[in-house]
Amino acid sequence: MNKKITAFFSFALMIGLLIIALKIVNWLPLILQKDTARRYGSIEEVQRALNMKDIYVPSYFPQQIIWPPSAILAQSKPFRAIVMEFTRADKRNIALIISQSEGTALNVENPIEIVVVTEKVRFTIKGRDAVLTVGSCKNDEPCSGITWIESKYTMTVLMKSAPFELTKIVDSMIR
Amino acid sequence: MNLPLNETLPTDPWVMNISTFFNSFAGMYVAQSFCHSVIAAMITDRALKAWNIANPLVRQRFRLIVIFFPIVSFPLYQAINPARSSALFRLESLFDINQWISLEIWGVIPLSLLFLLIFVLTSLVFFFQEMFPVLMHSLESKQVEHEGTHMDADPFIAEASKLLSIKIPDVVLIDDDEPLLFSSTGKDPVIFTSTGLSRALTKEQMQAALAHEIAHIARSRRPLLIAVFLLRIIMFFNPVVLVKFRMAVKDEEKICDDIAVSLTHNPAALAEALKKFLHKKDEVPEQSIRKLSTSNVSLEEHSHNLHLESRIKRLESGSINTREGWGVPFMLTLLAVVVLNYFIV
Repeated sequence: MNKKITAFFSFALMIGLLIIALKIVNWLPLILQKDTARRYGSIEEVQRALNMKDIYVPSYFPQQIIWPPSAILAQSKPFRAIVMEFTRADKRNIALIISQSEGTALNVENPIEIVVVTEKVRFTIKGRDAVLTVGSCKNDEPCSGITWIESKYTMTVLMKSAPFELTKIVDSMIR
Repeated sequence: MNLPLNETLPTDPWVMNISTFFNSFAGMYVAQSFCHSVIAAMITDRALKAWNIANPLVRQRFRLIVIFFPIVSFPLYQAINPARSSALFRLESLFDINQWISLEIWGVIPLSLLFLLIFVLTSLVFFFQEMFPVLMHSLESKQVEHEGTHMDADPFIAEASKLLSIKIPDVVLIDDDEPLLFSSTGKDPVIFTSTGLSRALTKEQMQAALAHEIAHIARSRRPLLIAVFLLRIIMFFNPVVLVKFRMAVKDEEKICDDIAVSLTHNPAALAEALKKFLHKKDEVPEQSIRKLSTSNVSLEEHSHNLHLESRIKRLESGSINTREGWGVPFMLTLLAVVVLNYFIV
């Protein structure tokens, strides 16, 4: 019986050590290379760390959305990309996502998922061709999204609301 | 749904292509199944040591975790949580292989290239050392007829076959001075041995050797290793699976040794019989050792000898225990592999 207990603890200890080792091995690339995907505390921090001057942020914000972003994820390798999440003041859940990427895709878990698309239209906003998607997210919440090309970036803004507010936000992002 | 970010202007097409591959489903499957097999190998090896498991049959079952699990792990985890491949999940994970893949040596050579090189080399080794010989062997075995003298039915073979519930195999004696012993399985199994071997072994040793072959025939009725081989083809690029599969094959020999001993109750006789198959170093001319091709052969012979020596040592030490409890350690190990690997992306 003692042998079995010792074996179990030896095995459990090894699992514990393996977890610690994995954490260290996972942390090393973040130290070695500063430009891989990671979380940032502010947009200024992203600009400093990744030398990314051209980050597009809206100058118009609906009252219910809290500034600054609640989460920022950015990278400059293998391609430049930044994703910002904004929360709603009343419910404290994610209500707006702004994504800016020059690569194929920065695969992020998307809390604003347009489950049912009711309308998808092309339109022009300040001289840019854009695609507006209108529909509903989970729980039948109204959701909408706009995608357009801005300089070398593909911009996507998703919002848990009807397209009216979203269009105003996007309009304020384009200089 | 992922954010619909379309391709625009990649910074470096070369890096982008490799990075794009490792961000695709196929690329993530390759990278993650490799990581999962490394973790599974570490956990199972530690479990075998912690519970001091020596039974080759049980050891083989533990190794099968490393071979099978990475085949299904990635699609299984993705089905459970599609957001597992997202950047946010990756950031919170225990280990993210993409962090390493995106590294660049001296800011020039992407580490992803090194990973690709390892996978390509493993694929070549798999094809030339496993796939190609297996295909050649199955083609040759259909054409080649082994000529020899059919030996009279041995009561020991009949008894052993009855105990293992298999059809009594024919024994064919091939006229060759080399010590040969192998069997063909299937509906009408045949054991082939050589005159060289029959001269070198005593009656007990010969019975032990034949018992080992009977064990192979009995085990081939449930061709686990063939099924494992067919499935492991999916993991052709994975160096860990390559090594573990070879270890599982070696375990098979020890399993058959144990069955042979259970039939003869004479491990010493089997150990003596195995010694006849050791390749003697002085048989290789000294000059040819320097040649690359021969050094490959001698390396193979060295590995063959090492394996035989470990089997002989095991039989001589009398450490055969086929009644080890393994259920709880196996379940705990499997649980640790499944849970830990979920957080390895």
